[in-house]
Amino acid sequence: MLTGKSVAARLAPVLACMGLLALWQIAALALNSDSFPTALEAMRAIPSILGDKEALINILASLRRMAVGFLAAVAFSIPLGLLMGRSASVASFCNPLLMVIYPVPKAALMPIIMLWLGVGDLSKTLVIFLGVSLPVIYHSFEGAKAVEEKMLWSGAAMGLSSVERMIRIVLPASLPEILTGCRTGLVLALITMVTSEMIARQSGAGNILFNALDMGQYDTVFAMIIIIGAMGIALDVAFESMRQRLVSWSEPQFDVPLSFS
Amino acid sequence: MSARRFTIDGLIGAIPIALLIGLWQALVSFGYAPPTLLPPPGLVFERMVHQLTSGAFQQAIAATVFRLFAGFAIAVVLGVGLGLAAAASPAVNALMRPIVRVLAPLPKVALYPALLLLLGFGHESKVVLVAADALFPILLSTYYGASTVEQKLIWSAMAAGTPPRQILFKVVLPAAAPSILTGCRIGLVISCIVVFLAEMITSTDGLGHVLVTAARTFQAVDMFVPLITISLLGLILNGLLQAARSYLLRGFPEV
Repeated sequence: MLTGKSVAARLAPVLACMGLLALWQIAALALNSDSFPTALEAMRAIPSILGDKEALINILASLRRMAVGFLAAVAFSIPLGLLMGRSASVASFCNPLLMVIYPVPKAALMPIIMLWLGVGDLSKTLVIFLGVSLPVIYHSFEGAKAVEEKMLWSGAAMGLSSVERMIRIVLPASLPEILTGCRTGLVLALITMVTSEMIARQSGAGNILFNALDMGQYDTVFAMIIIIGAMGIALDVAFESMRQRLVSWSEPQFDVPLSFS
Repeated sequence: MSARRFTIDGLIGAIPIALLIGLWQALVSFGYAPPTLLPPPGLVFERMVHQLTSGAFQQAIAATVFRLFAGFAIAVVLGVGLGLAAAASPAVNALMRPIVRVLAPLPKVALYPALLLLLGFGHESKVVLVAADALFPILLSTYYGASTVEQKLIWSAMAAGTPPRQILFKVVLPAAAPSILTGCRIGLVISCIVVFLAEMITSTDGLGHVLVTAARTFQAVDMFVPLITISLLGLILNGLLQAARSYLLRGFPEV
């Protein structure tokens, strides 16, 4: 049953969206500049982009690359991060290398990777993989490090092997932290997807966006921004609902504000 | 344990980096990769030292660092301020939560064309982009840290007669500091990434521009130099943040 409060909680992000679009509309009307179309004009351009078969295929190809890169990165990074968190020697082996790689913008590797692997799907997926894996490794590492020793000792006392302890104790205990990492990874996957396509101008959502910018089709530019933004929000909502189902046990009670005012 | 353990850890950590450089050298020496695609590491480091002493490259670094700092500083001030406000006031919280929910997962790079059209090709658009991208990790971790402060601490401060306004700065802010600094670390890495990308997209200066120019002329050596520079820059800034963290959190257990 939907109570009044949960309806309000569901409607609030929609209202926020409307509010931001209204703000945009007002700002565009106030500035009245050729290169800044109003929200309505931009939204009117969306159907023509989504109706265009080639553009649609491009956008779907982007999403596919993102999904493959993201899933591969998660499958690779969680075991590595957990292993680093539980073994000091693995951690000190991997940490410096990861610290060197972390601040390198992965999409900036695109020109070099393109020279080796071509402009196709492989190099873009690889770049997305690199972008996603680091935050996931980092958060899995932090999560696994913070697992209480006592739980592991009890597990060992009850006869769990080290692999079983990893899967049945460390993984669930660090899941909230891992999923935080995955969420950062998801945002980074989108950023990397857009920028890699912008650099390798061949296909994809980023390509449409920046081509439109170069050709001065400003309503297409802003329509693509809305589409990519909507993709980000939709993915985040989907991820969040999955996360809540998995780790609702660990949620702190956010809705109780600090009482001192 | 400290000093000796530290050197041993350092040595173990150096192995994969050494292996990577070794593999790189091997690929070139055994002819698996032509030097035009993968220049030997010696050449890259030589070029790097040469570039670091050249004025033009130093200016590129300066432009990047300025944008990075400006954007990151705005993000820290806004993120910590808004995060604390949301944790302290239910009204602010109710207003901000849906907006953050919508804006946080938005890939800000996609907004960059809009920023370009509105703010021009100079510093402003890049600084705003960096700030927008670094803001949300800092904001969310500040909020998380501030809303999980133990109520007992606040009650004790109130019992000791601290006025409500001061509780925010004397109790909540220090207690949330570890979480805030974790958010800052993520924000810093994102700033490094985003400033570089923004400069790659459109710029006339900065490290990203150096990379794009090199890529257009297929100068593989010059493509590696800015990448290594931004990595070093990230390491240095991360080290500074770590030092600030251990100074600020000196009273906390196990940091």
